[in-house]
Amino acid sequence: MPELDVELNRLKLKNPILVASGTFGYAREMQAYTDFSRLGGIVPKTVTPLPRPGNPPPRTVETSAGLLNSIGLDNDGLDVFLEKHLDYLCGLGTALIVNIAAKNIDEFRTMAERLAPESRIAALELNISCPNVSGGVDMGSDPQLTEAVVKAVREACPHPIIAKLTPNVTSVPTIAAAAAAGGADAVALINTVQGMAVDWRRRKPRLGGILGGLSGPAIKPVALRIVYQVARAVSIPIIGIGGIQSIDDVMDFLVVGASAVQIGTANFYNPTLATQLVDELDRCLEAEKCQRVQDVIGTLQADGPVPACNR
Amino acid sequence: MSDPQSTTSYDQNPCGIHPYGGMNQRAVHKSAVVVSHEPMALNTFRLRMTCPELARQIVPGQFFMVRLPGLSDPLLGRPFALFNVFYDANGEPTDVDFGYVVIGKMTHLLSQCQPGDELEIWGPLGNGFPLPDGRPLVLVAGGIGQTPFLAVAREALRLQKYGDPVRNIEATPSSVTLCYGVRSSGYLAGLDDFTLSGLDMQIATDDGSRGHKGFVTQLLAKILDEQSDKPVVYCCGPEPMMQAVAELTASRETPCWLSLETPMACGFGACFSCVIRVKMNDRDWDYRRVCVEGPVFPAERLAW
Repeated sequence: MPELDVELNRLKLKNPILVASGTFGYAREMQAYTDFSRLGGIVPKTVTPLPRPGNPPPRTVETSAGLLNSIGLDNDGLDVFLEKHLDYLCGLGTALIVNIAAKNIDEFRTMAERLAPESRIAALELNISCPNVSGGVDMGSDPQLTEAVVKAVREACPHPIIAKLTPNVTSVPTIAAAAAAGGADAVALINTVQGMAVDWRRRKPRLGGILGGLSGPAIKPVALRIVYQVARAVSIPIIGIGGIQSIDDVMDFLVVGASAVQIGTANFYNPTLATQLVDELDRCLEAEKCQRVQDVIGTLQADGPVPACNR
Repeated sequence: MSDPQSTTSYDQNPCGIHPYGGMNQRAVHKSAVVVSHEPMALNTFRLRMTCPELARQIVPGQFFMVRLPGLSDPLLGRPFALFNVFYDANGEPTDVDFGYVVIGKMTHLLSQCQPGDELEIWGPLGNGFPLPDGRPLVLVAGGIGQTPFLAVAREALRLQKYGDPVRNIEATPSSVTLCYGVRSSGYLAGLDDFTLSGLDMQIATDDGSRGHKGFVTQLLAKILDEQSDKPVVYCCGPEPMMQAVAELTASRETPCWLSLETPMACGFGACFSCVIRVKMNDRDWDYRRVCVEGPVFPAERLAW
C-alpha cells in the first residue's frame, strides 16, 4: 500500500486530495455525498471579518467546459463562522483549512489573531486573489503587499499559512516568491481566471457582477502551466487547483510539481468525486509502483528549451 | 416544510426560513437508466428513469439534478422537479419522471437520449411543498411550472403516498383546483395525468386556443373572490406570474407558497449561486439559497 500522506512545510496532510474553498459550502452541504474523514483536508467557503451579502444574481453562468462565477464572498462573517461552523468542521476527522479574506493587512492580522487560539485549525488559506471583491486592495497582484500580508498573518498566529494566488497577473512566480519570502508554508494555484459572458441580443452581461471568475475543465491547462512555472521558481510546496475532475488530472498536477491538489468546480457536478479520487490515487500509485506520493511530485521530464516566460 | 428534526441542527433564523430546511442528508448521487422518454407537448418531453433510492424518499415539490455523463460541455447538472413516482410489481418505488422544455444545449442533448441510456442524478433536493390540510387547495401553474403539481394533487387527493417514512396527510383538502396557464393549447402538457377524480382543472391560454383567454391569475382571482372558505395557494411558473400571484394572494390575505427556480450550479447548497432576496424583517433582506432553503418559500417573505 503506498503512503498517501504529504507534508507542506508545517502542514501535514493524510493525503493530497483537498476540496477547494467556495465549492464545498461549510461541509454540511456535502454530508450526504462525502466521507469527510477520507479527505486530505477541507477548505470551507471564504470567511470575511464582517458579514457580506454577496453579489446580485445571476451569480453563475455556464460557459464551454467551465463555470463563470460572481458570488462575491457571500458569508455571515467571522463571528458566525466561529459560533456556528467551527465546531462542526473540526469534528469531521480531516484537516480543517480556514480560508480568510479581508480588505487590508490590518484586517487580515486581526482575523489571524482571532483564529490563533483555535488549535484545531490545521492551516489558514489566505484568499488574496478573489476577483469578485471590490473595495479592497487587490493584494495578490502586488508582490510587496503579498509578502507583507503573509508576514503579518504569520506573526499573528501559529497556524501554517497557504497563500492562494490569482492567475490574473503578469507573473505568478513573482507573487509566489513574495509569499514564500513572507513566510508562507505553501501556495495554492490557481484561483479563478477573470472572465465575462454576455447576451449580445439583450446587450447585457450574463452575470449580476458583470465580470466573474472562470473555473472548471476549461482552465486546467492554464493552471497546469502556472504550477509548472511556479514549481521551477520557488521552493515552497504548491497546491494545484484548476479543472480537476479525474485521477489523471490529479497526477498531471503532481507530476508538474504540486504536492497536493484541491478539487473545485467538479464538486458541484460530481459531489462524490473527492473521496473517489483518494481511492483512485492509492490504486494509481500502486500501479506505478510508487511507495509514496513524493515519488511522483515534480517528476516531469521536460527536455527542450526553457520556456521564455519562466519567471 | 420538511421536518426540522430531520435536518442538521442549526439555529432557526429570524425570518422562519431554515438555513438548511431543504437539505437532505439522505440524498443520493447515482447513475440512473432511462426507462422511457416521450413527447408531452410542443417542444416538451417527459423522461422516466430508474433510481429506487431516490424514488423511495422524494416528496411533492422536491427536485433532483440531472447531468449528462462523460461530457464537459454541458458541464453542470440541471434541476428538474419531480413529476411522479412509479412502483414495481411489489409496490416498491423504483422510478421517477420529470417534464422539461427544450431550451438550451443541455435540454437539447437530453431530448436525444434513448431508453437504456444512463444519466447522472442526485437528490432528492429542496424542501418541497407543505403537506396539504383541510383547507381548499389551489394550485397555480404557468407553463412547465405545472410539473410539481401532479404529485401534489395526487397526494392531496389521497391517490398516492410519498416519502420515507411514507407521509400521511391528516385532512383531505375540501377541494383541489389546478389553474394551468400556457401560451397556447399546444403547450398543454400531461392533461391525461391531471384528469383525476376530485381535481378541478381550469385552463387559461394567452391566445384563447383553449379554456379562458387570458392569464391564469384571472382564474385565480375569480376563485379567491368566489370561494367562501379561504384556500391555500401553491404556485410555480415564470417569475412575473408568481409575482402577480403573490400580490393577488397578499391582497386577499390568502396564504401562498411559491416554488422558485433560479440558475443553480450544484443543487445542494455548496455554490451559493441560486440566491433570492428574502425579507428578514420589515426593513432588511438577505440573499438565501433557493436549493436548500427552498425551492418553496412563503410568498410574503420574498423581497422581489
